[in-house]
Amino acid sequence: MNRFKSIVILAVVLSELAGAVPAANASDVAVVVRRDLPVDNLTFSELRNILLGDRQFWSSNVRVTLLIRAPLAHERDVVIKNILQMTESQFRQYWIGKVFRAESLASPKTVYTNEIAVSLINNIPGSIAFIEAPLVHKELKVVRIDGLLPGEKGYPLN
Amino acid sequence: MRPLSLVCLFMLAQALNVSGETQNAASQTELIQALMTRVEQLEKRIAELEASKPTPPATPLANIQAPSVESMQMVSPAGQSEGRPNLNLAGFGDFNFGATDQPGSHSGFNEGQFILHLNSNLSPKVSFMGEVSFTARADAGIGSPAAAGFNAEVERSIVRFAHNDHLKVSFGRYHTPVNYWNTAFHHGQWLQTTVSRPEMIQFGGRFIPVHFVGALVEGATGANGLNFNYNVGVGNGRGSVISRGGDAGDNTNGRAWLVNMFVRPDKLYGLQMGGSAYRDTVTTGGRDYREWITSTHIVWNRENPEIIGEFANVRHQNLTNAAAPIANSQAYYVQAGYRLPVLNKQFKPYYRFEYIHVPRSDTMFQPMSNLAGSVAGLRYDLSSFAALKFEYRNQRRAKDQPHINGAFVQTSFTF
Repeated sequence: MNRFKSIVILAVVLSELAGAVPAANASDVAVVVRRDLPVDNLTFSELRNILLGDRQFWSSNVRVTLLIRAPLAHERDVVIKNILQMTESQFRQYWIGKVFRAESLASPKTVYTNEIAVSLINNIPGSIAFIEAPLVHKELKVVRIDGLLPGEKGYPLN
Repeated sequence: MRPLSLVCLFMLAQALNVSGETQNAASQTELIQALMTRVEQLEKRIAELEASKPTPPATPLANIQAPSVESMQMVSPAGQSEGRPNLNLAGFGDFNFGATDQPGSHSGFNEGQFILHLNSNLSPKVSFMGEVSFTARADAGIGSPAAAGFNAEVERSIVRFAHNDHLKVSFGRYHTPVNYWNTAFHHGQWLQTTVSRPEMIQFGGRFIPVHFVGALVEGATGANGLNFNYNVGVGNGRGSVISRGGDAGDNTNGRAWLVNMFVRPDKLYGLQMGGSAYRDTVTTGGRDYREWITSTHIVWNRENPEIIGEFANVRHQNLTNAAAPIANSQAYYVQAGYRLPVLNKQFKPYYRFEYIHVPRSDTMFQPMSNLAGSVAGLRYDLSSFAALKFEYRNQRRAKDQPHINGAFVQTSFTF
């Protein structure tokens, strides 16, 4: 019986340790930034303007650096189709035009894994990335979109 | 409560229930096995999470105002040299075939423009962009008469200081922001839906000054979801050849100035509408003119549909001959396209009607022709970076002149 109780207690402890993963729908995509970026909430329109390169600075004059997963990643699909309502080709053409019009210094940076995205967020102040909600580490700040976090009813990025 | 905690509590309740009542030893053993399996799964998950933790410590944000060139280099390592700013090079090109029934014209291929676009970040807030074109011309080569060759031109050269989204200051040679098309598509034929630009903003045309040499202040603000954008500029305006900007200096002591404003409302994603005003004093043909250009545009820049409409009025006052009447010339175009939802969305039919009216009293614009014409075509996107366009044009310069029909094919691309 003692062994049984130990196992139960251990299971509870391990579940708490694993609690760094927020309770979120697996298909929800979280918008993440560094913890010290003074941004907690964005409206859906503000997020779209960031992705369109129309908003290039955070309010603190820190430049926005967009990190977007490479093609075929679920996070990229959500960004391009749900937020921008574009196809992959339209998205590429849009950003080529944006840079060509001298309206932006560079197109979004392509990241090939979420681990690279996390590393770059920690190294580039002002960077913003999109990561599947269950994979977000507590070291990053999850930005609310229209006041909602991943997993909450009505969260728009999924 | 977290799901894993729920699972564990559920298991605990199950376990207590089992142990307190009539469960036999065999079922307890099964339960223990299940719990052990679950513990192993949780241990594995924790190990995965630990492995995915970033190792480098974060630099305090307060110490850094913007991403450094070095940090950007981590993302895009190509093109950086020790102690020098990065330089990104891109380009556009197009090849054309055209045939018209205009007397004296010849059908044939045309090389179009070869465009190089250079972009360099001099610091986190200072950037440079340049656009150089090589245009095939029948008279650009050497010899007498001049042989065919390429005409090289610095189309745009802009150094910009971006303080924030609300305030950016720049100096250089621009495409004059008094016309949507002129600042949306520049020399990249691939960027525009059609083969040709509207004639009111044709390169080498005179109706609207395509280039502007001077300084611009620009910015944007949210404005409660309206997303208000502005450009305010001062520069040399038109040169003595009015299709050219004042690249080597102004030919008058009066600077040209311009104001351009537009909004992109959040609630109507894809809509842009705005207007511009431009004022200059122009000396050409031994006469001085005061020029006022006012224009407006409305654009729905999604591709289902794409709608672009622009109108401009150019007002000329002859300052040399005060008795000469003030002349107003007008031009507009409306273009509509639609990216078909079938066949991987590669096809986009389009249509444009354009109109230009220049009264005879507008002596500064003489001998510019009037125009009423239609353009209809189909754009086929060969890939994300190349397109093939087929275009039919029907144009008439004056009521007493015949319609001119033309067929054009263009392949355009970016690299």
